[in-house]
Amino acid sequence: MKRWLKLAAGAAAITLATAGCAGSGGGDNASGSGGSQGGTLTVWLMNGSAPASLTDALNKEFEAAHAGVKVNYQIQEWNGIQQKLTTALASDTPPDVIEIGNTQTPAFASQGVLTDLSGDVASLNGPQWLAGLKASGEFEGKTYGVPFYAANREVLYRKDMFAQAGIAAPPASDAEWLDDIAKLKAKFGSDKDFQPLYLPGQYWYALLSFIWDNGGDVAKADGKGFTSTLDSAGSKAGLEFYKQLVDASGTTAPKDNDEATPEQAGIYGGGKVAMFIGTPGEVATAAKTDPTIAGKTGAFPIPSKTAGQTAPVFLGGSNLVIPVNSKSPDLAKEYLKLLTSTKYMSQMAAAGYVPGASTDTSALDKDPLGSVMAKASKNGRAVPTSPKWGEVESGQNPLKDMLTAYLTGKKSLNQATADADTALDKIIGG
Amino acid sequence: MTATQNAPVPAGTTSPAPARVRDGRRRRRGGLGERLVPYLLILPTLVAVLVLLGWPTIQMLGISLRQLDLRELVTGKTVWIGFANYTATLSDPKFWSVALRTVVFTALLVAATLLVALVIALLMRHLNPVIRILVQISLVLAWAVPVIATTTVFQWIFDQQYGILNKTLDRLGFHSFIGYSWFSTGASTLAVIGLLVLWQAVPFVAFTLYAGLIGVPREQYEAAGIDGAGPWQTFRAVSWPAIRPILTMVTFLSVLWDFNMFGQVWAIRQGGPDGASTTLAILQYLKGIAGSHFGSAAAIATMMLVLLLLVTARYVQLLVRTKDGELA
Repeated sequence: MKRWLKLAAGAAAITLATAGCAGSGGGDNASGSGGSQGGTLTVWLMNGSAPASLTDALNKEFEAAHAGVKVNYQIQEWNGIQQKLTTALASDTPPDVIEIGNTQTPAFASQGVLTDLSGDVASLNGPQWLAGLKASGEFEGKTYGVPFYAANREVLYRKDMFAQAGIAAPPASDAEWLDDIAKLKAKFGSDKDFQPLYLPGQYWYALLSFIWDNGGDVAKADGKGFTSTLDSAGSKAGLEFYKQLVDASGTTAPKDNDEATPEQAGIYGGGKVAMFIGTPGEVATAAKTDPTIAGKTGAFPIPSKTAGQTAPVFLGGSNLVIPVNSKSPDLAKEYLKLLTSTKYMSQMAAAGYVPGASTDTSALDKDPLGSVMAKASKNGRAVPTSPKWGEVESGQNPLKDMLTAYLTGKKSLNQATADADTALDKIIGG
Repeated sequence: MTATQNAPVPAGTTSPAPARVRDGRRRRRGGLGERLVPYLLILPTLVAVLVLLGWPTIQMLGISLRQLDLRELVTGKTVWIGFANYTATLSDPKFWSVALRTVVFTALLVAATLLVALVIALLMRHLNPVIRILVQISLVLAWAVPVIATTTVFQWIFDQQYGILNKTLDRLGFHSFIGYSWFSTGASTLAVIGLLVLWQAVPFVAFTLYAGLIGVPREQYEAAGIDGAGPWQTFRAVSWPAIRPILTMVTFLSVLWDFNMFGQVWAIRQGGPDGASTTLAILQYLKGIAGSHFGSAAAIATMMLVLLLLVTARYVQLLVRTKDGELA
């Protein structure tokens, strides 16, 4: 036993000595080969973004215009993408074009892992970029991300139920919205499973609209960092309105979970819900439960406290970036140029998205749900462009904890917002 | 020399002394190659252990002394910052509350696992064969289901609106459980997670203990019975000595598993509500993967290793000291 220990100790010592530079690999660019070399352009787009008809035509056109170049097109899943991107960006031969979520972009841009595209903005249809997305692709005055597409939330409602409850037109203000909830409840309330508005407790994307509408914000830029402002009067008013909606509707949605658990579109598809806040794409999910529901669904923008206006909306979406380690950045730029052309951007609009690099939303306007979204997207806003925001979403989101604590009465409004500010400042402050 | 070899060994006694002497002399006479053989034989194992376990551990220690965020990872820069990761982590009061929670949770969970498994193992001895096989099949099935599948089932059971547990409690007359949230506090969330882990951990421990129990000859129980020993005395005098070494081993293994458990805790509520079910493994994930601060995550991992070594020091001591790997 003793001898074995000695031997092991000796071996460990040797290993230690040779490991003097523990883990110094990773950026060794001496012999980068394979991957994007040999005329291959690797492109990663996300599942559910560009339809196959678009990418097929795009890749074909690109290969025809660049003789000898092959596009290696891959579709990635959103689940676990942050880790996958981290690994891919750290490798010697990353993909050449990547689609990344707009809230993830500042994190990657600040770490110097993306190619600076400031000089190419004009050639990539820059003047037509969607303002809300454009900001997410910029870091310290330089542009790293090209807006790809956006989607924002609206209120999706059952036209038939509204008619039966005697509601002539969709609400145009917060007060009317609450009135309509009361009317729906009066009409259908005898069914205890009925919910005028399905609103889970941790739906922080919806909360953002109410906070912004009341003049509040999540955080304000403060020199190099951010200071959380959830305890400002405007932010608190937004939270209070959220609670008003939850109480008025008497929604049985969990207060300690978000809109994805359980999937809210599935609940809406069950037919006992008159309204929910979501993207037009979610109606297709609801239709899986009840195919007839799509025809009965209408949309109106999230109302504002000021009659006649609509509330600002959180602009979710994606940017296109080129990793700094890409072996063919020039080819990648050519690819982006083609993808951001009006031709392909219109196809994104036809697929139900607000195009990121084109102001032409005519294809979207043909769809009654899409046109409402396109109109609201003009008033689209983004979360603080802190490089650390990704950590807020992929970790334990203080906004979600705040909502649950306030809605369940575990904390007072002041306590909940103060605690959330502290937690948020720990991540994005300084 | 020959005299020793021919020395008669008294029958019945097992004195290993002569054999040892003989062994030693022969080895000393052997050539270099012969002396190297044992080392060569363990070399593949040793290399495998060093490469698969030693190297990552050394890497982890190295990374814990560096600032390693996404930027450093991508650019391949090595930034040594000494013990800054450790001082930052140790000065965070959250780390200490999470560490305490992890230790208490692990201790309760291991105790519960052993107790339930021991009762099942003892029960299996007394069941008639048909029932016992049914119990064993159930145990194997509970064990064979993948972790995340079981976790999903538990999430459904405990769901606030649609969970079968709340509906059943309502039917039984406990109407206050309509819409009751089992995940409203950290303690309640950890209790559900504990139940889930218990469900998956008990089969292995129960089978292992049962294997120890069936190693005890029936005659010993009969003898205890003839001597007038009650059930408790029989357990103390006959069953306990047989399973004690095995119990020590499964305790050790359970501590390791439960302390490092991540999947179930994360899947249930991501360490919520409000961070109240966050364990060290979750904290490490939040730092490393969610926050891309691989240096601080490595520091937390190192401290988890130290904590584990402290908790299991007694076992390691026993393991190193006892001959023939016999425990306790």
